[in-house]
Amino acid sequence: MSQPVTPRRTTRSSAGSASDPASPTPQSKSMPKSTLRRQLIPAAAAAAKDEEEEGENDRSTVDLLLEALPGRRAQASDLLRLLAPAPALPLLLYGGAATGKTRALLLALRHIRPRPHRVAYAALRSLPSPRALFASLLSQLSPPPSSSSASSRQRVNDKPSDFVAALRDALAGLCTQGDAVYLVFDNLEVVKSWDKGTQLIGLILRLHDLLRLPQVVLVYVSSATPDAYYSMTGSIEPNHIYFPDYTVDEVRVILMRGHPNPKLYSSFLSVALKPLFRVTRRVDELGAALEPLFRRYCEPLGDSKVVLDESIKRRLFEHIQPHLAVAMNETFSVPTRASVDQCNDTGGKASTKRQFGNRDSLTELEFHMSVSAKYLLLSAFLASRNPATLDAALFDSTGGSDNHKRKRKSSQASMNMKDTMVEEMLMKGPGTFPLERLLAIFQCITSVSEDSLDDVESSANMMNGSGMTGLMSDVLLQLSTLCNSNFISKSRSCPLEGSARYRSNVDQDLALKVSTL
Amino acid sequence: MAAASVASQAQAVLRARLCDPGFVHSALRSSPDTNYSKLKYLVASSISEACNNSVLLLGPRGCGKAAVADMVLEDLKKEHSDAISVIRLNGMLHSDDNCATKEIARQLCLEHQLSFSKMASSDDNTEFIIDMLRECGLAHKTILFILEEFDLFAQGKQRLLYSLLDAMQSLTSQAVVIGLSCRLDADQLLEKRVRSRFSHRKLLFVPSSLDDIQRLVEHLLIMAKGSSLPAKYITDYNSRLTNIFSDKKFKGILNSLMDADATTSNILRFLFRAVSYMDMESGFLSMESFLNALSVMQRQPKMDSLQDLSILELYILVCMHRLEDKEQSSYNFTSIMKEYRSIQDAYKTSDKYASTVCFRAFEHLLDRELISFGDIRGRNQALEYRPVKLLISSRELAQSLKLNTTCPAVLQKLFDRERYM
Repeated sequence: MSQPVTPRRTTRSSAGSASDPASPTPQSKSMPKSTLRRQLIPAAAAAAKDEEEEGENDRSTVDLLLEALPGRRAQASDLLRLLAPAPALPLLLYGGAATGKTRALLLALRHIRPRPHRVAYAALRSLPSPRALFASLLSQLSPPPSSSSASSRQRVNDKPSDFVAALRDALAGLCTQGDAVYLVFDNLEVVKSWDKGTQLIGLILRLHDLLRLPQVVLVYVSSATPDAYYSMTGSIEPNHIYFPDYTVDEVRVILMRGHPNPKLYSSFLSVALKPLFRVTRRVDELGAALEPLFRRYCEPLGDSKVVLDESIKRRLFEHIQPHLAVAMNETFSVPTRASVDQCNDTGGKASTKRQFGNRDSLTELEFHMSVSAKYLLLSAFLASRNPATLDAALFDSTGGSDNHKRKRKSSQASMNMKDTMVEEMLMKGPGTFPLERLLAIFQCITSVSEDSLDDVESSANMMNGSGMTGLMSDVLLQLSTLCNSNFISKSRSCPLEGSARYRSNVDQDLALKVSTL
Repeated sequence: MAAASVASQAQAVLRARLCDPGFVHSALRSSPDTNYSKLKYLVASSISEACNNSVLLLGPRGCGKAAVADMVLEDLKKEHSDAISVIRLNGMLHSDDNCATKEIARQLCLEHQLSFSKMASSDDNTEFIIDMLRECGLAHKTILFILEEFDLFAQGKQRLLYSLLDAMQSLTSQAVVIGLSCRLDADQLLEKRVRSRFSHRKLLFVPSSLDDIQRLVEHLLIMAKGSSLPAKYITDYNSRLTNIFSDKKFKGILNSLMDADATTSNILRFLFRAVSYMDMESGFLSMESFLNALSVMQRQPKMDSLQDLSILELYILVCMHRLEDKEQSSYNFTSIMKEYRSIQDAYKTSDKYASTVCFRAFEHLLDRELISFGDIRGRNQALEYRPVKLLISSRELAQSLKLNTTCPAVLQKLFDRERYM
């Protein structure tokens, strides 16, 4: 068939964009979230008086806001009340990820009366350093004159004192008319991971006191709870608004919005949403998981528009059931060409194959690895998981462990020791090994496999003519490929010898998959 | 609608009051023997007697130290407008000596209408400051230095403090240093030579008592006659408000607020919220608005987060709790997975998921800060092998499992019976 198209995620902004009054048309359903945000910000700050609202009472504002934000009645009314006429104490919106905090805030800033004179938005997640944050805020508040590029370079200041002084000047210039200026800091929790982050967070949270300008309102959005910001010396706390996660019904309402085929989609959601909701409650992850499932759901209908009744619904449900079980065990799926072809040709066969989905994982490897790479990966796995002292026992010349070397000691002490050793293995994770040990194990394994293959006498084998050299060739090249794909990682070199040490990153499931040649 | 605009006007007036620290503490002007009067007496006497002085204002955050200092400055500026100039420094911004000298020089230039060059070196600035101090001393002009976050200036070498206090020792200078700090032992942080030059005057700010807070609330919310609002509205509003204040429930609200945090800033936040919840149609504050404000302020974020979890995430938390109960001192994601699989094998629930899905749920828990890594990120280890620990107590977990309506009964059983397994 044709090239498989990677489907775009139904982001919550595009899902909700249909009923947004000034939003872009539904054709741009795949617009990424940041563009929608950037559109909201100038709209919030624009003093466009052409949006006339007769009877400016709170009720109609709240209703408009609620249409765009399902399930957020309390938060929307809180926002409108706490933000509205400046002066206002600073505000902190907190809640889990993907709960609609930024969206609610930006929409509320558009609807409050009196309209804000300027909204400066600092998207902290996309700013790399404090200097970038300062520059971004200052440029939003007082756009530099277009002619001077040299002077704008001079103004990039690093020190907090310079920044606060420049901020105060910029804001004093803006606030003379008496309108409010809103400073929004989004994703405040990322500042903690910056260099000198705790000082900067303290500074940002105390800007209200440092600036002492009554017309400036500070709003913080964070996905960490407020107790993450308590420092040892305390700081003035802002007002909090909490955004809980959506319930199942609210998620359903959000996902249904603007969908072209509501009846079909709602019957699909009644089947698929609840099981997936047990795994994760985040709307973006649910949307991403539900989209390919919905396409699978609609397959038996084809193109015909049928009236949904119970029999058809049952048929669709039976069709989707095995795929649902598989989808619950995946975090994301990248459809490859082979699987798409397979599903298109053999609808029935695919469904029987998918019946195995209730096992932990599929038994086939989804990507291709050369045989020598597989051997190398397995030897790395063995080298990481077993201590070096076992090598002699495992890989001696008879090709297997010797039975009468094993001591029969099943006393309690040795059982306890075994348990603790097993637990230690779980805790420590894979160990490191030097390159020589890896090559030694690799040689052992490939020599054993060579013998067994000669016994089986399989002719359709790629190593047919080359013998041992076929597997040993380019082993260092294979090793570097595996390192680049993060199957093996390089850890710090041994201080005594100075040789490089490696560590295997694969887990047991992947090793089992690899080993089924 | 006239009523709506009256309500919104009233709300605007109240909000402006609450955000203005000068208004909030203005009642202190009249009462005797407060820190305000002491500070004012101190500074006024050193101005009039042309001597040097230093004082520390200490107290927890939100008790009004900066507000009191501002009020004193305002009053003094009105009385002796020519004889003082004010330099403000903040420990968060200016703890570095070069920054501090630059800032002092800049503010001095601003006060005396001199031009300030950003390129001046720190030595130039220091010389300038010393010259200015001498000049001002000869002209009988007192320079007031306000050092906020004083304890942050006391980190490092304390060069700025030493030079300031040392300059004050000379005969020609007239300066008063007022330090504000939330650390009650800020003077213990000073070096010996700095402390010897410091006069050990301290003014202690304590959180207010219930009566003080009651008086403060009345001062803030009761509207005086003669403002721009209609008189009938004001009388109605005031009478309703006094009814509320005398109600026992209101005293209970104030008590529960004060149990947590009795500082002025906490009360201000509470009142701000209550004023925002004002009934916009009638324009009056009711007991409901106060009760709503209190309930919002007393949220417990961790319990709220626990209510937001999916079933799989709850499973992971219960597994971690069981591991902790089994007295495993440290455990990581792989051990949690082992416990999870053993539970699934024993109980055969429908919630058995693959390892990648469980890891994603694990990462969600890390984001919400309900669990965290037990080691500092030193070794280059994969996330599955780093030790983790629970950040919630078992009581919180038990309570959240009870409150969660979609929680499967198996989880509850696992949590309760783990002591016997």
